[in-house]
Amino acid sequence: MPATSAHAAVHHGPPQGFIRKYVFSVDHKVIGIQYTTLSVVAAFIGMALSWAFRIHLGWPDAHIPLLGMLSKNGAPGGLMTPEYYLSLVTMHGTIMAFFVLTAAPMAGYGNYMLPIQVGAADMAFPRLNMASFWVTFVGFLLACATFFIPDGPPLSGWTAYAPLSAVGEVAGPGQGWGQNLWGLSIAIFCVASLLGALNFIVTTLDLRTKGMTMSRLPISTWAWFINAWVSLLAFAVLLPTCLLLVLDRLGGTSFFIPGGLVINDQMQPHSGGSPLLFQHLFWFFGHPEVYIIILPAFGIVSHIIPTFIRKPLVGGWKVITWAMVAIGTLSFIVWGHHMFVSGMSPYMAMVFSVPTLFITIPSVIATMVWLFSLYRANIRFDTPMLFSLGFISLFITGGIGGFFLAQPSTDSYLHATTFVVGHFHFTMGLSAIFGAFAGFYYWFPKMFGRMMNEKLGKVHFWLSFPLVYCVFMTMHLTGFAGAVRRYSALVDDFMAPLIPTNRFISVAALLLGATQFIFLFNAIWSRFRGPEAPNNPWGGTTLEWDTTSPPPFDNFGGRQITVYHGPMEYDGEASVMQTAPPAAVAGT
Amino acid sequence: MLSDQRSDLKGGDVNVTQSAIPSLGQHEVLMEASPYGIEKKKLGMWVFIVSDACTFGAFLFAYGYMRVGNPVWGTPFGVGSVVNGVVMTAVLLSSSFTMLAAVRASQTGAKPSTKKWLGITMLLGTIFAALHLKEWFSLIGEGWRLFYNPTGGAAQFGATFFSVTGLHLTHVVTGVIALAFIARGYNLGRYDESHVETAGLYWHFVDLVWMFVFPLMYLMNAH
Amino acid sequence: MSSNRELTMSSYVGIGVGLMVIVGIEVVLTYQHLEPRTLLFSLLSLACLEAFVAVLYLMHVKYERPILFWTIFPATLFVLTFLCYLWPDAFRMASMRLLK
Repeated sequence: MPATSAHAAVHHGPPQGFIRKYVFSVDHKVIGIQYTTLSVVAAFIGMALSWAFRIHLGWPDAHIPLLGMLSKNGAPGGLMTPEYYLSLVTMHGTIMAFFVLTAAPMAGYGNYMLPIQVGAADMAFPRLNMASFWVTFVGFLLACATFFIPDGPPLSGWTAYAPLSAVGEVAGPGQGWGQNLWGLSIAIFCVASLLGALNFIVTTLDLRTKGMTMSRLPISTWAWFINAWVSLLAFAVLLPTCLLLVLDRLGGTSFFIPGGLVINDQMQPHSGGSPLLFQHLFWFFGHPEVYIIILPAFGIVSHIIPTFIRKPLVGGWKVITWAMVAIGTLSFIVWGHHMFVSGMSPYMAMVFSVPTLFITIPSVIATMVWLFSLYRANIRFDTPMLFSLGFISLFITGGIGGFFLAQPSTDSYLHATTFVVGHFHFTMGLSAIFGAFAGFYYWFPKMFGRMMNEKLGKVHFWLSFPLVYCVFMTMHLTGFAGAVRRYSALVDDFMAPLIPTNRFISVAALLLGATQFIFLFNAIWSRFRGPEAPNNPWGGTTLEWDTTSPPPFDNFGGRQITVYHGPMEYDGEASVMQTAPPAAVAGT
Repeated sequence: MLSDQRSDLKGGDVNVTQSAIPSLGQHEVLMEASPYGIEKKKLGMWVFIVSDACTFGAFLFAYGYMRVGNPVWGTPFGVGSVVNGVVMTAVLLSSSFTMLAAVRASQTGAKPSTKKWLGITMLLGTIFAALHLKEWFSLIGEGWRLFYNPTGGAAQFGATFFSVTGLHLTHVVTGVIALAFIARGYNLGRYDESHVETAGLYWHFVDLVWMFVFPLMYLMNAH
Repeated sequence: MSSNRELTMSSYVGIGVGLMVIVGIEVVLTYQHLEPRTLLFSLLSLACLEAFVAVLYLMHVKYERPILFWTIFPATLFVLTFLCYLWPDAFRMASMRLLK
């Protein structure tokens, strides 16, 4: 599409005052940092929850004083009750999946970088953007609030299956106001995500600068754009699911509660509902959600690798982008693989299993693109690149586990074991986190105008990477042996031999957690004391490297940005900036 | 104020933000044309409509699931209810056309005419809401609740009926309030015809949802 | 689908009348003592027809660039189509429930 004389005016000047600049800011850069900060805080909270239950799994008789202070009922004297274990697991999953993994790579980096990468001064709807962040923040506060109410957080898992989540207080501690707050928090998060997705889509389509055709978009922008569509469609279905759940809880309806249900010797006054309906509606969202989590990491890694090998990705922008489109599309038709043992129609199991196997094809294509690009490349092993390589490894490992879970026959055994926990931590949790770390180390100089410490970054990587394998690969093994997930104690005869293994996992997990403080220290210290960063410390080609570190309020200081090249053009060891006029490219 | 700068939207030019509000650092930059050839707020509204359609869709699927899974459902709507529903449909449909008139008036810059048609649309929307609430209250008077079916059929009838029509009603009321803001803004010159058109899109969508809600929730449950 | 010739207001009134006629057909069908399944499919088809007319004419998509239609419709239809995967379980619920 040729550039035409389309015009845009930058219609907000630089903000004045602390509140307008740093709190209620419409500047996408500030909002991106706000989202990223929220995610980092949420990540440490989520991690702390995991330390608590990992300690309990490794040393079931341990008394954890801080926990005793947090909840007198849940952990009297610091000894975790089985119910509180479930609550901790529930909130760990909820906080990590929503407020860390869905927030940071997409809303955090995407908000900051997407407008710059397309050459715009801001997102299409800056005030809507600001609203999206603050709505997310309110959702986060509600989720955290569940820890401080008398009955504590819900214990139904991040998946909140009915009827446990739908019947109310009678189901256990935390199932009163804890679950209500949870439902509200997630519904609010849905709205924020929908509005954010809208912004990303319209910005990418409508605010590209002259010469920035869709074929010249950076791969990270493509990833955020595709992801925005997936988010839009998936969260649109989670919202009614949450609303129906709230209606069951507060309105006396029975969408998800069957008849004849006796809980704690009380017959529940409901009938005619279907727990399966909840699972269908939830996982209709839930499966695309895991791709919503991983696609930005695909984009970030695909953006970083060419920079550090000074070569374009194999297949150019088309192969990797079409792979992401295929993944995004297929992600909507595989959700039943979470429900193979739920009592769903066995014929549907086949209908879901086949596309689940199919979706590995574009994932493998993407992985092959990265690996073939790396073959015989001159790799610079800076920290962003290390985390990108780590991402590839974790994604492959996790993906292989997926083959076992994609088939109903093997899944019948492995469902609800720690095999699944290991699988999704590799594919969804840690891959996305490594992608997020890669993005953090890569874009920190641009966002804050200072370099992070390279040595500390490398230590962070080389400690985290093997520890991740220690924790989550071992879970695949305990899962094979039959260890059931969400169990607070391994008391059955066949699981007792796994207690030492569990202890090993717990030790590794605590060490892994401790390692993240290296990152935190590095980030905070470098923010204030790091060496000044040049405009383009890594030799990137895309538009964010064509402006100052950090960029001015309108991203480019009022300059006309014209794009002549794609995002992955290199001239030997030199990077060809997207804005370099054609005559500057030697030899062509 | 901006109608003379409204460019032919199909030629690829996009008149985006020639804001009349002076601010620091205002300048023009050249951009790629939108592949859709429409204003960004209109595109934004379309994207929102896609998500809202999926939300309503999921609600209707839940209704269908409950209906199929609970064979003893009950068909309580008599001729009176159906007639009321047809009147409501006619009211909402007319409001779509008055909205269209408002959009056309705004495109010629005729402020009084635009205000008039927006006002009539709001009135029709309010009449729809009033008829709807009247019907709700009469059902509630007969004993219908979110959790109770006085005919002895599935309790999910009330749950699905009130939740689906309630969600639609919320959209109608929100739309009427939004139209009030648009009308005021257009009158004051702060909003232009693109705002009216964008609001029109939302209003037509609300009508479109009713085209599905009426047959599925009323006619399928008529005796 | 992109066309510069906009309709006159009287054409729109005609479209409105047509839509009300479809509503009338829906009401008439309701009282024809059809099988529920037949009635459902008929009503849904008519509703889809109404929606198509509304999107194309009222919401102006006929006069926009084709890419707008081909973005909005497939995305929405995709979600609504694959939500149909939950029907088998709805029918199983009807036939396998304990409490009739």
